[in-house]
Amino acid sequence: MTLARRKLLQLIGLLGVPSVFLLVFFLCPLVIMLIYSGLTPGLYGGVDWVFSHLNYGRILGWADTRYEKFDPVYLAIFLRSLRLAALTVLASLLISYPAAFWISRMRPARRDFAIFLVTLPFFVSLIVRLFAWVLILRPTGFLNQGLMGLGLTSAPVEFLYTDFAVILGMTYVFIPFMFLPLYGSLEKLDMTQIEASADLGASRLQTFRKVVLPATLPGIIGGSIITFIPALGNFIVPSVLGGAKVLMIGNLIEQQFLSARNWPFGSALAMLVMTAVLVLLVVQLRLARREGMS
Amino acid sequence: MLRRLLGLYGLLFFAFIYAPILLVVVYSFNANTVNMMVWDGFTLDWYRQIFGLQTTVTESATYVDSSAQLYAAVRTSLVVAVTTSVLSTVFGTALALAVARYRFRLAGLYRTAMMVPMIMPDIVLGLALLIFFITIGMNLSLLTIIIGQSTFLISYVFVTVSARLAEVDTSVEEASADLGATPAQTFRKVTLPGIAPGILGGWLLAFIISMDDLVITYFIAGTGDTTLPVHIWGMLRRGIKPEINAIATLMLLFTLGVAAIGLYFRSRRQK
Repeated sequence: MTLARRKLLQLIGLLGVPSVFLLVFFLCPLVIMLIYSGLTPGLYGGVDWVFSHLNYGRILGWADTRYEKFDPVYLAIFLRSLRLAALTVLASLLISYPAAFWISRMRPARRDFAIFLVTLPFFVSLIVRLFAWVLILRPTGFLNQGLMGLGLTSAPVEFLYTDFAVILGMTYVFIPFMFLPLYGSLEKLDMTQIEASADLGASRLQTFRKVVLPATLPGIIGGSIITFIPALGNFIVPSVLGGAKVLMIGNLIEQQFLSARNWPFGSALAMLVMTAVLVLLVVQLRLARREGMS
Repeated sequence: MLRRLLGLYGLLFFAFIYAPILLVVVYSFNANTVNMMVWDGFTLDWYRQIFGLQTTVTESATYVDSSAQLYAAVRTSLVVAVTTSVLSTVFGTALALAVARYRFRLAGLYRTAMMVPMIMPDIVLGLALLIFFITIGMNLSLLTIIIGQSTFLISYVFVTVSARLAEVDTSVEEASADLGATPAQTFRKVTLPGIAPGILGGWLLAFIISMDDLVITYFIAGTGDTTLPVHIWGMLRRGIKPEINAIATLMLLFTLGVAAIGLYFRSRRQK
């Protein structure tokens, strides 16, 4: 047996089974979902093998006017998901940036420990972390008890099941996603540039705007994309903290499969999210590659 | 001045991260059975309840039949996590080795494609798997959970092992081959020990994520195969009772224990 032939056999041995596994159980389900998104819903769940444009039409406004008027409610939910995800990105950015700056200026030993502390909650069960916020936000929860104890409000404020609760919950859960890329670019920041800028008479705000911000922009963009992606399609946080009042696209997809039993429509919604996510992933990879070259 | 403010903010930042978790732990020792939010002395009753010991807690403060269901859920979670993490570690490591050590045309495609399962919204993957299993007529069971979780956990192992493979010096492997070792010997004596920390790290990561996975498991679990996160999800839907605090605290201890083991091995490797 020649060397090339032996190498080829080794390669097939390594790649073969895992590749088949992923083709069958990862790619195949997604392809089925894509196909179903263009079919007619079956009467009792499942699908009929007849093409229908109504699934995407119902979302995007190209509905069959004979049976139904275009109802922008689905588009509104998708837009709300985009908005909540964007606000989550903004909140995590504002919360993480100063902390990442603080930690990046620490002595190395303390710095490593601080980063360990930031990433540790990531390993704590998601459902436990969200449950903690239910305890804090609910009408008899700690926040309301505190507010009433201070006399700031006489009746409990509805924090739970609001946009605020969902954004807070997602921010809390995704902080490491934002923090680590930010920290990565802040760590590389050259302190002498900041000093030079100050020596040359720039105010602190000017130094931040002209020196610090441009240098850390890759981290800001990277962290934003990495946070936005899981926030957009999130299902658990709006279910626990948003209840029935704050529907996101993830909840809508779940309903179409488990309660409405409209697989094609649910599939179309899922494909919409997938497209948004893949576009963002490509943008992220492009930016990362450009960053790596420069 | 600005430095002080920044330091103060940093402490607030850590308080934001840890206070909610700490709250759950502290209140798992609260003796108040009527209002779980009001502190009423220290008790271990919630833990005694979980372990089936004699307690003074009232029926209304706990879930019916909770201990038996909880044990079953823990057992299912462990079986799934052990199987899934081993399966994904073998597959993920094989793929990482192929991409890093062999030159072939599809290597770049593999590298990009392996990112997709990690960033996929879990609800899309979970439901795609659900309609796939229904379409091909496969009954939902432990097996479907194991298959479903492996599809994305392979990626985590792939990334972890690939990172390690990139650090390991290939010249040692070449030297081993030049000195007459067979490929199998080189792999066992040189390559494998070199990437072992990466494999161990990937396996631990897969284990922790598997133990914690809620969304995908929720959609593709058979009716009798409830994992711990799915079980707690159900409890939350039935109402919030103080018992959850204690369960959450025990889960916390468990995951922190696993994470600590991982970090311990990592620190030993660096010495």
